Amino acid sequence: MSIDLAVIKNLGGDHLDLPFWEGARRGELLLHRCGICGKHYWPASRCVEHGGTDMAWVPASGRGTVHTYTIMHHAYAPRMAPHVPYCVAVLKLEEGPFFHTNIVDCPMEGIHVGLEVAVRFEEDEVSGLTLPVFAPVA
Amino acid sequence: MRGRFAIAALGLTEQGIRLGRSDRDLRGDAVERALREAGLERDAIDGYIHCWGEREDLRYLGLSPNFSWALSCGGATPTAGILAAIGMIEAGQAEMVACVYGIAPTSGYIPGVPDLKSIGAHSYGYPSLYGMMGAASAHALHARRHMHLFGTTSEQLGAVAVTQRAYAAVRPGTTGYGKPITLADHQGSPMIVDPFRRLDCCRDTDGGVAILVCKADRARQLSPNPVYILGAGMGQNIANWHKGIPYDHHDNIAPAKARAFAQAGITLADVDMAQLYDPFTISVIMQLEAYGFAPEGHGGPFVAEGGNGPDGPIPTNTAGGQLSGFYATGFTPIIEAIVQLRGQAGAGQLKKADIALCSGHGLNAGVQNSWNHATLLLGNQP
Ligand SMILES: [Zn+2]
Repeated sequence: MSIDLAVIKNLGGDHLDLPFWEGARRGELLLHRCGICGKHYWPASRCVEHGGTDMAWVPASGRGTVHTYTIMHHAYAPRMAPHVPYCVAVLKLEEGPFFHTNIVDCPMEGIHVGLEVAVRFEEDEVSGLTLPVFAPVA
Repeated sequence: MRGRFAIAALGLTEQGIRLGRSDRDLRGDAVERALREAGLERDAIDGYIHCWGEREDLRYLGLSPNFSWALSCGGATPTAGILAAIGMIEAGQAEMVACVYGIAPTSGYIPGVPDLKSIGAHSYGYPSLYGMMGAASAHALHARRHMHLFGTTSEQLGAVAVTQRAYAAVRPGTTGYGKPITLADHQGSPMIVDPFRRLDCCRDTDGGVAILVCKADRARQLSPNPVYILGAGMGQNIANWHKGIPYDHHDNIAPAKARAFAQAGITLADVDMAQLYDPFTISVIMQLEAYGFAPEGHGGPFVAEGGNGPDGPIPTNTAGGQLSGFYATGFTPIIEAIVQLRGQAGAGQLKKADIALCSGHGLNAGVQNSWNHATLLLGNQP
């Protein structure tokens, strides 16, 4: 099944992000990298130093640490009701970019800033996308 | 810039929950009240800036300005609107610009708010895939970071809620009027979006507001107590995003503050009150630090000791703010500044109220979570 561009657009992205979501479907975490300075970005970006002349999607390590997080106790949409409480974390990926995600396979009280996590992939029925989620490193 | 432009009139409707009036009706009422206060006919308004995105107000309000703009940068919009009004007056396009806002979300009028059932709710883009929804979640990421860096506690967040409710409890027309709370009430209120409890969050209210912006000379002809624009500035937290420190900052306040204070030619010591944009308690703590009223990381102890109270070094959100007053986006701080500067705050009137610092922030994105920040310095003397 191909990625539905309308879903991506509804999420604030566009076709420039398609390689990322195609990568996730294959079980690969990709980041957008400037070939001139090596700085990594997510989602698709222009390098703040060098613009868009040499940006390419490259594989990432899939590791990061929790930079900040919140635990949602209130379901703001009916579809989230079965999931509360759940954690929305912002990771600092090993390569530098921030990445919003869910922390899985971890009790809520075990989540803290600095927690080391690694990627895994889950199918999301609502969006039809394969989502990178993260679990604590064993 | 200082003292060359002024707010000649404030039109303020009732503000509250389930007023049963449409947003357009509230805006119309607010404009009428502002015109009445200034003693002007409606054809005096030759510029209309709607601080949101509605297109059909002019017909309903019976206005015929030279231009009508919809301006939207969230809670920074009112100050952006004032700056845009000044720009249009300077450019010779208008003499009397109305900056208008009015919403009625608790009465069923919710234009422009995304469908909560859809992906992308609250404009949080990709993060909404992970259930990040609602303004509380976006601010909670900053609050958690502040707690991690500086040991800020839930009780310190609660101190903001309690102090602001105490202001509101003696201010008629606020949602908190006659209803003081204790720290125990705060700690007993349910966790909504960790670390925010229910009493850390403001709630939506209905209401309308209109201000008339013009040159200071004209304002003095129309009003016995014009409120002067001393300085203003804006900053965007995307700069901190690019540096990898967006969550350590509530907003990018430094450049906004620097330009506003330079225009006004004043220092922090000259400011008598802070009227800060406060949808959540953490917003007050982080802004008090960023503006320099409290040292970095000490905003929690500062509010716990009453630094933001009526007898503290910087009385803050003196009508209860958004948390306990009402939510009129970035107009909530500006309205209270006008009321205090005019000496119309009744039992809540500050002893010294000559210069006010107002702030606003808004229009954050999903992934980058970076808001615009607006600083506005107002005074009762040019
Ligand atoms: Zn580069």
